[in-house]
Amino acid sequence: METLSIALLAFFAAGWFVLAGADIGTGMLTPWLGRDDRERRLVLASFAPFFLGNEVWLVAAAGVLVGCFPTLEGELLSGQFPVLVALLTGWIVRDAGLWSRGRGPGPRWRAGCDTAVTCGSWTVALSWGWLLAALLTGRPYASATGPTAALTALAVAALFAAHGLGFATLRLTGPPYERARRLVGRTGRPWWSFAFTGVLLAGLPLAAGTALPLAGRTAAPATLALLVPALLAVTPLLVAVQAWTWHAFRHRVTRPSYL
Amino acid sequence: MNQDVLDLARLQFALTAGGHFLFVALTLGLVTVVAVLQTRATLSRKPLHARMVRFWGQLYVINYAVGIVTGLVMEFQFGMAWSGLTHEAGNVLGASLAVETIVAFFVESTFLGLWIFGWNRLGRWAHLAAIWIVCLTAYLSAYWILVSNGFLNHPVGYGSENGELVLDDPVAVLTNPSALLAFGHVLAGALLTAGFFMAGVSAYHLFRRTPEWEFFGRSLRIGVFLSAPALMAAAVFGGLQFGVLATFQPMKSAVFSGEAAEIARLQTEMTARFGPGDYVPSEAWTRGGGLVMLIAFALMMYLCFAGVILACFKKVVFRFRLWHLALMAAVPLPYLAMIGGWVFREAGRQPWVVYGLLRTEDAVSDLSPATMRLSLAVFTTVFVLLAVLNAWLLTRHARRGPVESGLGHDERPSGAADGPDPADALPAPRY
Repeated sequence: METLSIALLAFFAAGWFVLAGADIGTGMLTPWLGRDDRERRLVLASFAPFFLGNEVWLVAAAGVLVGCFPTLEGELLSGQFPVLVALLTGWIVRDAGLWSRGRGPGPRWRAGCDTAVTCGSWTVALSWGWLLAALLTGRPYASATGPTAALTALAVAALFAAHGLGFATLRLTGPPYERARRLVGRTGRPWWSFAFTGVLLAGLPLAAGTALPLAGRTAAPATLALLVPALLAVTPLLVAVQAWTWHAFRHRVTRPSYL
Repeated sequence: MNQDVLDLARLQFALTAGGHFLFVALTLGLVTVVAVLQTRATLSRKPLHARMVRFWGQLYVINYAVGIVTGLVMEFQFGMAWSGLTHEAGNVLGASLAVETIVAFFVESTFLGLWIFGWNRLGRWAHLAAIWIVCLTAYLSAYWILVSNGFLNHPVGYGSENGELVLDDPVAVLTNPSALLAFGHVLAGALLTAGFFMAGVSAYHLFRRTPEWEFFGRSLRIGVFLSAPALMAAAVFGGLQFGVLATFQPMKSAVFSGEAAEIARLQTEMTARFGPGDYVPSEAWTRGGGLVMLIAFALMMYLCFAGVILACFKKVVFRFRLWHLALMAAVPLPYLAMIGGWVFREAGRQPWVVYGLLRTEDAVSDLSPATMRLSLAVFTTVFVLLAVLNAWLLTRHARRGPVESGLGHDERPSGAADGPDPADALPAPRY
């Protein structure tokens, strides 16, 4: 049960980095990929059908953490308090910008929302870098400081952006696509860059997880005996539904969406 | 434990949980209405019914989207500010929160995305199935959250091992009366909120005599005829909860009724049982919350009784403008009742976070007051802005009416996006 709990946590955390990493990265690059209101709306449409389904992977990872490793969750989250405040604020600002962009009045409102999406995406990416800096250096109960934290944050943010760029080359059309393609380069198959950054991003939480004393900190056996099988039973179903969503919206975007 | 940190953490939890709860109230009720409306539209294939799905669906999506981000804070806040809670009671509480995120919320978000963005892509039956899955998983979410909350208010089905609570009887936890009764009460309250919201928005259009008389005449009646039974159900579940309170949390009962002798007796009894301490919850909050709820209930009851009769007459629905004004003014009433009842439930169980087992002051994380102050300032600002944003967007789209609705607009190149949307065809204005 202990191993299965760790596997579930790893699965949802890595899933979030690969899937949500794409829409966060694209969000970070929105002002560069889309130069006017119409183009930016197209850029957002590239991940619009997925971002809601993507972000719940992190909610699910947090759920596994509190369900299977409750004590550790408390120590980790209270130890990383300032980082999480930044992460959550970025996340909220980004989502509020995405959802309200098409609902408010005028070009100024939409430009404001685009700024919220970009700044929010950068904040989320940088906060994750900050959080990973603490985990990777083996000090999970206090937020990282100094140049290590700053450098890790920037490196992780750059990786998110690269992942978003790869996603953009696969999803977009028109001038935003041309801009993304120019930076990725024309060598190799179009999805290589995306796959490469995806593997790197999936590796980050796994590497960070090894620094956590996960084994030996699981919830009591009575809880795990019920919780882990229940989660394992529904997980394939969730993955199937999400895979179907990706399949349904697999075509490149040519028109704006609801957002 | 630092007193400042405790107070700030409690204030932050109260503001964020209370804020989130109010978003949820409308979401949970409105999604039910939208699912029923869409079922009718799918069966009848009438444009008017389809337009009702799009208009009320648009308001639902706005409220959901802003509400969902307030829920993110809740998800992480337990571990961030209340690590004592996950440390002591994590074996029971963590499991229900985990199941909520994965079995309910994950499915809900995935299918909501499909519903919004797959409007003209999915088959109409698949699209209908999507909103029903969203609706049922939203209920499931509420159930699991109330299982957690029910355990905090009335812990059952647990054992104790090495000073930690362990899960002993899962069936008892899942059928905790404190959870089930609250679930029925909150669900009825959510439908009530949606009913008053629909009636209020519709009344605005009828009052202004906008061209959409048929659309809003029907919507107003749906709102009124939904509110009345929802109010009754909320009252019944509320009454049942009052009934069990005397056994579950006698101190809350005593404080609410202001029985000084009983309070003193319970204080002595609890001191003998749990050691010295103050076991009397804040009288102002407990009684205040309860009274606000009861006053709002009384006002809503008059409105509902009158409404059910008035709504039977077509001319009254379209022309009784004083009633329209009353319905518009009444939109906040269910919110007041919801928040009042919530304050009564949560403030009235203090000083306990897990009733009789863990004190709130022992659950707070070891944080510095400066950190806590910063986080309170950040989250309060963000939540106030979100509430303002939500109110503004809802008002904007509610006032605009069903003509120019973004939700469900056909974006396909071959679709109707280039011409006027056929579903936007207006009925001729007539009064």
